[in-house]
Amino acid sequence: MRMFSVSHKTVFVVDHCPYMTESSRQQIECDMLTKSRAQGVIPLAPVSKSLWTCAVECSMEYCRILYDIYPTRKLVNYIVSDSEFHILNSWRQEDQSVQELMTALAAVGPPNPREDPECCSILHGLVAAVESLCKITEYQHEARTALVDLADRVANRGRIICLTNAKSDTHVRMLEDCVLETIQEQNKLAAGSDRLMPIQQCELVLVHIYPQGDDTLVSDRPKKEISSVLSSEVHSVRAGRHLASKLNVLVQQHFDLASTTITNIPMKEEQHANTSANYDVELLHHRDAHMEFIKSGDLHMAGSTSRDSGLKETVTLKWCTPRTNSVELHYCTGAYRISPVEVNIRGRSMRSRSVLLEQPRKSGSKVISHMLSCHGGEIFLHMLNSTRSTLEDPPSISEGCGGRVTDYRITDFGEFMRENRLTPFADMSLDAAGRPPIERAKAQLERHTRYWPMIISQTTIFNMQAVVPLANLIVKDTMTEDDVLTCQKTVYNLVDMERKNDPLPISTVGSRGKGPKRDEQYRIMWNELETLVKTHVGTSERHQQVLECIIACRSKPPEEEERKKRGRKREDKEDKTEKNGKELEEKMWTQDSDRLKGAMEREKEDQSESEVIKDSPDSPEPFNKKPRLATEEIQPLEKSKGPVSLFSLWTNRITQANSRKHQEFAGRINSVNNKAELYQHLKDENGLDVHENGKATR
Amino acid sequence: MPTVVLMDASLSMTRPVSLEGSEEFQRKNLAVHGLTMLFEHMAMNYRLEFTALVAFSSLWELMVPFTRDYNALQEALSNLEDFDKTCLELALQGVSTIMQQEWGSACPCQLVLVTDGALGIGRGSLRHSLATLKQRGEDKKFPLPFPFPCKLYIMCISNAEELQTTDAMDNLEQLLILSGGEGQIFTMEGPLCLKSVQAMFGKLIEQAYMPFHAVLRCGHLTSDVQVFPRPEPVMIDEEVDPVPKHVLTEADEVGAGTTDEMEEDTSTNQMAGKSPNFCVLLHGSLKVEGMVALVQLGPDWYGMLYSQADSKKKSNLMMSLFEPGPEPLPWLGKVSQLGPISDAPENPYGEDDSKSPFPVQPKSKRSYAQNVTVWIKASGLQTDVQKILRNARKLPEKTQTFYKELNRLRKAALAFGFWELLKGVAELLERECTLLPDSAHPDAAFQLSHAAQQLKLASTGDSQYAAFEHNITPMLTDFSGGGGGSDRL
Repeated sequence: MRMFSVSHKTVFVVDHCPYMTESSRQQIECDMLTKSRAQGVIPLAPVSKSLWTCAVECSMEYCRILYDIYPTRKLVNYIVSDSEFHILNSWRQEDQSVQELMTALAAVGPPNPREDPECCSILHGLVAAVESLCKITEYQHEARTALVDLADRVANRGRIICLTNAKSDTHVRMLEDCVLETIQEQNKLAAGSDRLMPIQQCELVLVHIYPQGDDTLVSDRPKKEISSVLSSEVHSVRAGRHLASKLNVLVQQHFDLASTTITNIPMKEEQHANTSANYDVELLHHRDAHMEFIKSGDLHMAGSTSRDSGLKETVTLKWCTPRTNSVELHYCTGAYRISPVEVNIRGRSMRSRSVLLEQPRKSGSKVISHMLSCHGGEIFLHMLNSTRSTLEDPPSISEGCGGRVTDYRITDFGEFMRENRLTPFADMSLDAAGRPPIERAKAQLERHTRYWPMIISQTTIFNMQAVVPLANLIVKDTMTEDDVLTCQKTVYNLVDMERKNDPLPISTVGSRGKGPKRDEQYRIMWNELETLVKTHVGTSERHQQVLECIIACRSKPPEEEERKKRGRKREDKEDKTEKNGKELEEKMWTQDSDRLKGAMEREKEDQSESEVIKDSPDSPEPFNKKPRLATEEIQPLEKSKGPVSLFSLWTNRITQANSRKHQEFAGRINSVNNKAELYQHLKDENGLDVHENGKATR
Repeated sequence: MPTVVLMDASLSMTRPVSLEGSEEFQRKNLAVHGLTMLFEHMAMNYRLEFTALVAFSSLWELMVPFTRDYNALQEALSNLEDFDKTCLELALQGVSTIMQQEWGSACPCQLVLVTDGALGIGRGSLRHSLATLKQRGEDKKFPLPFPFPCKLYIMCISNAEELQTTDAMDNLEQLLILSGGEGQIFTMEGPLCLKSVQAMFGKLIEQAYMPFHAVLRCGHLTSDVQVFPRPEPVMIDEEVDPVPKHVLTEADEVGAGTTDEMEEDTSTNQMAGKSPNFCVLLHGSLKVEGMVALVQLGPDWYGMLYSQADSKKKSNLMMSLFEPGPEPLPWLGKVSQLGPISDAPENPYGEDDSKSPFPVQPKSKRSYAQNVTVWIKASGLQTDVQKILRNARKLPEKTQTFYKELNRLRKAALAFGFWELLKGVAELLERECTLLPDSAHPDAAFQLSHAAQQLKLASTGDSQYAAFEHNITPMLTDFSGGGGGSDRL
């Protein structure tokens, strides 16, 4: 479909000359007296609308339907004409509403019958309409700007609907000539302007309105090309009901609409609650919603009937009860906005969530072809596939790639999806980097999937509740100081687990027997955690801190263990000196009051845990890693520190101090800003830099 | 997109192909050879396609209804008999009927016409059909263009030179144009032999039956996928943007968040079944969570992925393509404005998933969601007047409703320039005033005459009283104690 077809711009030119005050002679009885009150009361004389009122209310209906179905991109410019022209709104989208037009019309009021008819003419309005069609709309502007060099692909077409009371066929021809001349003039002007566009095609729809009972002075004429830019058609219509149905037909023609009548809608109103009363509603919508009927030439089969003028066809569909409120996805091939033909009647029941619509068939099975569904206060007619689908009997996903794998992290990915759900943001809400929301969503997906094993047996850390806080935080674009602390806590917690020798949820798939030994399990876990964090290390300084924490805290990488085994004896000796170094440093730290405070808090927290460890009857066998180191530490420390004379008292104190010291170490790191050094120190303790430290203390 | 193979079974197809020193072939043999190749290709790489086989001469026959069983098609092909003359129009009519009966009239199809280019003589020949195209009544219209979208591939078991010696080529070209222009005419190059027929069907396969491979990407999680049916290029606005949009083969899953469908591949060997695949993970989670994933197919082109289960226990990952454009579903808003919930000040889905930011509310309400006044039918106007009168008789209890209805009528009358109505209603109210029973509350009379007077003033068009935004407010009386009146006895 072409965006800038004739329907992009519609100008209404409505005659506001004195003769439009003439009565339509269609009388309306407003005073409906009830029998009991009828006695002795003279009923009010019936009122009748003027030609002007008829023209205005029918044009408003046209606009109402148009705006319901095309809330954007199809624009109306409303002009009234008397001794001069009055433009009631502009092409801007915010001016496009029935309320806006009604307000402006009220300000104009009905024509003034005392105005000099000689000065008044519809011509003023027609000239203004042509000028208005040359004005560029925001959509045209946008498209031209986007296309730059190919801006001439953006066309300028439009339609003028002129509601007037013409004198004769000659008068009509004079109006057409005038429009053509004006187009030619304006196109010359527009050629030299940036804000104007020459008109490539203009459709003039002249509607001659005359009072009921009169003979028309103007004859109907189907569309005819007056020139390459202008085509014109003339409709001669009696005011009132006829005019209304004429404009209803026109709006359908102009905007490719079709009509569906929904029958058997159950009454909701209280007075009908117990009856089986039903009613019908006629809806207009884009005719593509009838694609299936149109294409198959089935319009009549589908229950189509001609109504009113015979020009209008409507397809009848039956309301299916009960309504489905399920969130089931239907095989839907299109959704179209609707507008009720009569807005006054109850639209309430149509605003329920979803109603299936069925083709009335005399026999045979029920065919559901459409669905009415409401999204955010807007009703859409959905077209459902009612024939055989080429998608039937699809193979199961389990027959394809990866279909035999059974341990997908389905629940975790569900959680992942929920965290990555989308939400609408206000227009132009760019972030600091100038990214629109959708790009931010993609960036988040990128971050969240840097390390995301798909199956349970491929991962250890994502099977551990203990890792969750870190895993959730490390993917963030910006981490706060608190986030880093939480991550560090997670790491300490893991260190703790390791010390307690807690079992890990390591997959035994592919390995014989019980799977890897516990120390090997922890090595795998630490490696995986490192892998996860390393993928985010470039994000910020704080992400880097988390990695450093892990490296510092984790048990030794295997090659170092090898080294350690080889040089165990040597290391035992070195440990002594290292411990001395550490001791010293700790004293220095404790002098820092800030840190002390935090350390004390941690200490309290950790006290209980340390007790648990002491009491823990965990099998001592795998104590060969860290815990053993701890015992090794104690021995040399006692030797170096303890003066022999204070032996008995001192032994107890030392033991206590040492155990506390060990906990404190973790606590301090948690509470202070400058942790890096301390961790390095810890790493050193376990690893390579022993010599240096040792020297320093010496 | 279902395929109909329309096979020429006329006698001319049995013409021998002159080949030096080898086995003698009929054109029919070459055609069968080519189609065998096509069916084998489809069985391997395109096996979800539904294909029907129709043979035609002066009559037509549905040899194999739409099926995915390529053996059945193959078998029917090898048992094909020879018949009389070529009558394409009838056969096309038949194809049209078969297609619509099976798939309705919205489903696009591919028609593979295999013929030797001898298109019949006299009545029923293509030449005759085309010549009489314009002299037909509604009931005898030429079957092309079909009511459903169709790509027409014409496989000529003859070379271009041969076709050009007669008007056969012209006629076939005209046929292609009639069908809507989508498709192609293939002819054989060089001598008519197995090799050249293979080459010709090879081109058809390349053009119309290549599986659509793509990469589905969600951040670093990716999966190679085959999409079936293949997404066809789309033309959005031939004027502003005359280049058809293609689905990019790198599909970006944008995030978790209703139309034409696609289906992901499954066919690969069993070995691959054992290594984890992102599609399976995604499908499983979408199914369990009851969610759909938004997928980007190109610039400003989106679709959705979800788990689709047929009636049995099988389910698969489905992709629905939205119409290209920045805002394919109005109730989602602009897709480019959808961002991660972590950017929102608070989770728009609520901590317990009790809320949703969707559907997005439209900026303005549609007419059926507002209290719009329409008096096109007399009954509309009468109802509105009666509503006022009904409330007028229940003053002062109904003061608020009375004025609300009065103002609604006033506004519409002013907009429509219907001052006569204002005068009329004013008179009605004055009359109601005189008809008030003795027992009536004194406030009722005051309000009625006040309202009548205000309407009369408005009907003069005096800008002081006839302003659209102005509302008639209840008269402040000693009785009403502030105008409300509704809480009085």
